[in-house]
Amino acid sequence: MTAVAIPRRSRRVRSSPILSFLVRRTAGAILALLAASILIFLSVQVLPGNAATAVLGRNASPQAVRILEHQMHLDQPLPTRYVHWLGGFVHGNLGDSSVALAQGATHAPVSHLISGPLKNSLILAALTALLMIPLSLGLGVLAAVRAGKPTDHAISLSSLAGISMPEFVIASLLVALFFVALRWLPPVAIVPPGGDPLSAPKQLILPVVTLLLASLAGGIRMVRAGMVEVLQTDYVQAARLNGLPERRVLWHYALRNGLAPSVQVLAQNLQYLIGGIFVVEAVFGYPGIGSTLVEAVSNRDATLVQSVAMLIAVAYVLINLVADFLVLLLVPKLREPA
Amino acid sequence: VTSGPDPRVAPVDDERRISRSDFLKGAAGVVGLSGLLAACGGGSGGGSSASATTTASGAVHKGGTLRLGYVGAGTAETLNPNLGVTPIDQSRIQQLYDPLTILKPDLTTTPGLALEWTPNKDATEWEVKLRPGVTFHNGKPLTAQDVIYSIRLMSKPTSAALPFVSGINLNELKAVNSTTLRIPLKFPDASLQTNFVYYNTWIVQDGEKNFSHPVGTGPFKFESFTPGQQSLFNKNPNYWMSGEPYVDAIKISSISDDTARLNALLSGQIDAMAQLPYAQAKAHQATGDIVVLTAKAPQALVFYFDVTKPPFNDNRVRTAMKLIANRPQLVSDAISGFGTVGNDIIGKGLPFYNNSLPQRVQDLAQAKSMLKAAGQENLRVTLKTSQIIPGFVESATLYAQQANAAGVNVALQQIPPDSYFNPSLQYLKLLFGQSQWPVFSLKFFYLQALAANAPYNETHWHNPSWNTLLFKAIGELDKAKAQSYWNQVQQIQYEQGGYMCWTNADYVDGVSKKVQGLKPNPGGILGNHDFRTVWLSA
Repeated sequence: MTAVAIPRRSRRVRSSPILSFLVRRTAGAILALLAASILIFLSVQVLPGNAATAVLGRNASPQAVRILEHQMHLDQPLPTRYVHWLGGFVHGNLGDSSVALAQGATHAPVSHLISGPLKNSLILAALTALLMIPLSLGLGVLAAVRAGKPTDHAISLSSLAGISMPEFVIASLLVALFFVALRWLPPVAIVPPGGDPLSAPKQLILPVVTLLLASLAGGIRMVRAGMVEVLQTDYVQAARLNGLPERRVLWHYALRNGLAPSVQVLAQNLQYLIGGIFVVEAVFGYPGIGSTLVEAVSNRDATLVQSVAMLIAVAYVLINLVADFLVLLLVPKLREPA
Repeated sequence: VTSGPDPRVAPVDDERRISRSDFLKGAAGVVGLSGLLAACGGGSGGGSSASATTTASGAVHKGGTLRLGYVGAGTAETLNPNLGVTPIDQSRIQQLYDPLTILKPDLTTTPGLALEWTPNKDATEWEVKLRPGVTFHNGKPLTAQDVIYSIRLMSKPTSAALPFVSGINLNELKAVNSTTLRIPLKFPDASLQTNFVYYNTWIVQDGEKNFSHPVGTGPFKFESFTPGQQSLFNKNPNYWMSGEPYVDAIKISSISDDTARLNALLSGQIDAMAQLPYAQAKAHQATGDIVVLTAKAPQALVFYFDVTKPPFNDNRVRTAMKLIANRPQLVSDAISGFGTVGNDIIGKGLPFYNNSLPQRVQDLAQAKSMLKAAGQENLRVTLKTSQIIPGFVESATLYAQQANAAGVNVALQQIPPDSYFNPSLQYLKLLFGQSQWPVFSLKFFYLQALAANAPYNETHWHNPSWNTLLFKAIGELDKAKAQSYWNQVQQIQYEQGGYMCWTNADYVDGVSKKVQGLKPNPGGILGNHDFRTVWLSA
């Protein structure tokens, strides 16, 4: 969502720039989330139809729709519903599924409905992130060190090829190769309700590889660019001229400064995972939060959509906060009181 | 059917053509890639023969778990028969419960939970005797009280079964004894038993309220259910049809993406998939790696006109539009040949269908002269279409080309799938649109689409004398007389109605070669979800 710029130094800040940074950024994050909550709530309201018409289908007679709208509390005014939903959300209550209420249930907590899919998605995202971060760093540094050489070109080309294709194309190609042609890997990742995706790890290989291929390039290219720039600076040259071993120059002097811009890109990649995971889940039939959200939207399950979208917004903002904080730690200059 | 197309269904498309941004828009409610089709589940009936079956050969091998993949509906999936609207709901409901009347693959009916239906002499009241010895999964015997309770649930305003029971006088509905009930009607109905074949009307236990752990009389009993993901039902050892079902358990999974569902079948993670897209069906018919189960069904795909608004309030224009269609080309190109040519009236293969009307064929010269006579030589009109049902956009595009040859300019406008069948948005407000009617009895199609006060009067047809004729046809106990009324009802529609039915489209599903005894059924997809005598070869 928001790529956050490296915080600027401010004359007003005198003591503990880290603390004041944290305070400012947290306040900003809360404001951003509040704005997001309003946007999310309103955009769900403007979707044509609601859970009543979705549940009833063509049977949606005006009388039936009114009955269900009452069951879903849709007859209350908009601001009341917003405050009620957000108030609950802040206290960890994600509300009751609108569709379940429309179907006559009295109690259908969204948290209960999404816990399984959310866990599945987090496992997929975590596996991908665990591989993505070291791979981005390693391949990026390698490309920078070998800048202009065949290794560099090979890494750049293959990562570019990955990023140029949408996930569903990558997924289809991988399925064609590893299932249709070679019969090595299953083309779908079906997890029974309450089941552990890790109990059949083979199923997860293609989804994770798809996400990796689609997301690695950005990180690799940014790490490479940062490193190439830093490797040409005077202090790196000076370190080399002083006879320090190249390994030490690279990892001790160059990497730390070369990484600063990459942290933001890696953060963006993590945020990207949240979006890319939707497509990958659909293509591999994986029961995650993406498929849950897509179906909730077509069912007009307002509470479920709002709460899941809000959770995603929280994840985005948190990732940004952490990334900014990391940059602050990586670049001492930013921490000096001006 | 009551339901026809299901508005919640996401569009059908080859997802390879959808960009990621489109996909995410889908998540925002505009277009989704996951789902497909729809409501064919609906209902039924149909047709003629059915081809390509899974053949039962050798000794029946009982046991095992039958694993099925359907397009899912997220948290809206339900085990409440009255609220089900999608094929996955239909399938689960049909495993847990039983109907009063069973629809046979030849589209006639045979007794289910009700053994005898006896009308009074003007068919305004029926006495129904239930099958003795049937018990619910909890051991409680089936009684007339269960049926009365079920009919009252069906009659709630939010029930999808309402159209099937709206002719019943609820105040006078009563049990005669423990296994006999009396059903009084508001108007004569000579085929009341056919109201109770559709899954929305299947019988639940007296007092059933929240359906979280439902109890039925069906071939399988509830074990677990997570909406949007999976259900597991175990064999009912006390099923009234002794020896059935053959498998020990049935597992139904929601796999909405067509490609993922097919891949799950091809990799052996499921044994059958509902709704195989036409293009893949063609490909796999050629390779023969799976069984492509096709049922010739009375699933009408139609164009329709609002007969009250210009230019379609002039029957010459409507007839000209019908004469413009090159139906064989529409069938072969828009739905890959998975259908038979339609003749504008709906319900081919069902009892009382009018087979005597000549097949309408393309006649551009006559179409042009009728348009000229109506003063509409350079007719321009907009056809609203949607990706909601496979073949809609394809047939609309092709029809527009065919219309060009007659000097008619048909402009296409695509409507988001989740608005197209939504009555508060587009549905029932279209001048020129498309629809899908999987029907299992003429009575229900006509009561829902064309009778006075019909809830889904897409063509805005209002004709009091025709309506009288329709109710005569519905209430006539004498078969021959009824047929002659029905013939007139259909002939008037054929000559003047707002429906142009260009095909009766097949139900097409994919089945593993391991699956034995699954027969194509014009009543619904995947053999009308009837798995009682299905078994798995070792």
